[in-house]
Amino acid sequence: MPVFKAPFNGYSVKFSPFYESQLAVATAQNFGILGNGRLHVLQLSPTPSNPSQSITEISSFDTADGVYDCCWSESHDSLIVAAVADGSVKLYDLSLPPTANPIRSLHEHTREVHSVDYNVVRKDSFLSSSWDDTIKLWTVDRPASVRTFKEHAYCVYSAAWNPRHADVFASASGDCTARIWDVREPGSTMILPAHEFEILSCDWNKYDDCVIATASVDKSIKVWDVRSFRVPVAVLNGHGYAVRKVKFSPHRGSVIASCSYDMTVCLWDYMVEDSLIGRYDHHTEFAVGLDMSVLVDGLLASTGWDELVYVWQHGMDPRAP
Amino acid sequence: MASNSPASGSNPPIKPWERAGSSSGPAPFKPPSAGSTSDIVEASGTAKPGEIVSTAERNASTVNTNALGRPMPTRPWEQQQSYGGYGSSLNYNTGYGTGMYGSYGGLGSYGGLGGSYDSGLYGNNMYRGGYSGLYGGGMNGGGMYGGGFGGPMGGYGMGGPYGEHDPNNPFGAPSSPPSFWVSLMRVMQGVVTFFGRVAMLIDQNTQAFHMFMTALLQLFDRSGLLYGELARFVLRLLGIRAKRKKVQPPGPHGLQGPHNPHGNQNYIEGPKAPPSVGWDNLWGDNANN
Repeated sequence: MPVFKAPFNGYSVKFSPFYESQLAVATAQNFGILGNGRLHVLQLSPTPSNPSQSITEISSFDTADGVYDCCWSESHDSLIVAAVADGSVKLYDLSLPPTANPIRSLHEHTREVHSVDYNVVRKDSFLSSSWDDTIKLWTVDRPASVRTFKEHAYCVYSAAWNPRHADVFASASGDCTARIWDVREPGSTMILPAHEFEILSCDWNKYDDCVIATASVDKSIKVWDVRSFRVPVAVLNGHGYAVRKVKFSPHRGSVIASCSYDMTVCLWDYMVEDSLIGRYDHHTEFAVGLDMSVLVDGLLASTGWDELVYVWQHGMDPRAP
Repeated sequence: MASNSPASGSNPPIKPWERAGSSSGPAPFKPPSAGSTSDIVEASGTAKPGEIVSTAERNASTVNTNALGRPMPTRPWEQQQSYGGYGSSLNYNTGYGTGMYGSYGGLGSYGGLGGSYDSGLYGNNMYRGGYSGLYGGGMNGGGMYGGGFGGPMGGYGMGGPYGEHDPNNPFGAPSSPPSFWVSLMRVMQGVVTFFGRVAMLIDQNTQAFHMFMTALLQLFDRSGLLYGELARFVLRLLGIRAKRKKVQPPGPHGLQGPHNPHGNQNYIEGPKAPPSVGWDNLWGDNANN
């Protein structure tokens, strides 16, 4: 399975929704605490099904501060949105030379931007969540944010669009709540006091638009049904430290992938008794970036503070040559 | 943007979940609206383009919506505004000016004071105005620097020649090199950001940090360094030189301990020397009386 070594510490990895062999990686120098950042665009060659594949870099973009997250546009195959630690959201176009990039730098957040997510249904807008406690909604045709969602009482670590509803999204915050929002409503439509500790990530079930998963500093992942959110549908225990990212599989409704500060990537099936169905300990530092390919069933990518980006098929050893 | 982006491949392959129907019952969401996102948000009356949320505004707005029923901890970069004379800057924080206050909330005493003046007086001609808030703040917050800096620093606040390079103009020329005070402020800001981020990391990963510190302490402890070195360090700080003296007098017959290459100096292993006076005389002459 191919490995890519980045010069900085990995923070996020995302598969392209257009090409099964492309992925973007957000990295930051010195663990994202101080220094520059770089956005890499990688190519798996020749195809993911070929056993002797490798990862090559197509292009990279430097930033003056760490890049904490990135996401691909769902409307243009060459457009990438980057969440930068200086509070800006930058747009990069791969079809243009590096000197012409970024094509846009949107600076409204007053603290580090921690996540970005592109609307997969309407494909014309994206969200950014920041340590300034707010979430901002942006559209590609405007130079400023359309609106700001400010209700969380602490840093917002992640915001994720509902994969089936163009107006609904969820957010995860350090105030120990996850909130469900409708962009047409002035405030949040639902507040889930989901964990006793900070919530670092959330994601929607792609096959059931009422189910979300939250990952927390309390080392657990909880699955919730927004129609009856008093009790979680499932509690997934197994990580040794805070769970940094959680992601529902695009191919199987009950499969969840997660990565954690315990340096492992885990796969879960929350519908079955023994929910932990896979554990990968290939990273030697905190595993903080994770994605599952929309185009290839079972293809996973992860990155971490060991500066490595792994791409592997579920069931295989990520370190296998 | 449309001109910059290729029209090719404007639709990604259909998502796997779009082929399947939703498995569960009706969702508690309003049905999605038709149209573009910006139109929909504007039609709903909730649009607020380009809003910049200041620290003060943020705190005010979140008080009632805190579902936890307990106050949230102060963020590491939001130190208390000890120079709170002008702390009531909320009233002045309007329009673009809020950005300045928010950007440098971390400096508390600087940014906090500055926000109030700057937003009203100088802030308006800055789109982003982040740095102007800072410098302007330092200047106007006369409590800290005195009026001396007032004049020159104000210039930066207005986005003059030393203003921050406009981040929204990627093609613009770089700004002129910063002056000493500007650099100093930038360094200060860097320090605040640094500690803020370290604190956030610890926040996210409390247990790991705890383990790390525990392991470190154990390491020191095991090598027997910690307490001895600590004591020696403190003594040295106090100006007392704690020398390794001969604690034991020479052993009888010049006996050498197993770990004692230097002759008669026996610290631990060597047998203790008998008292120079016989035990009989321990109580002195009184014992016999």
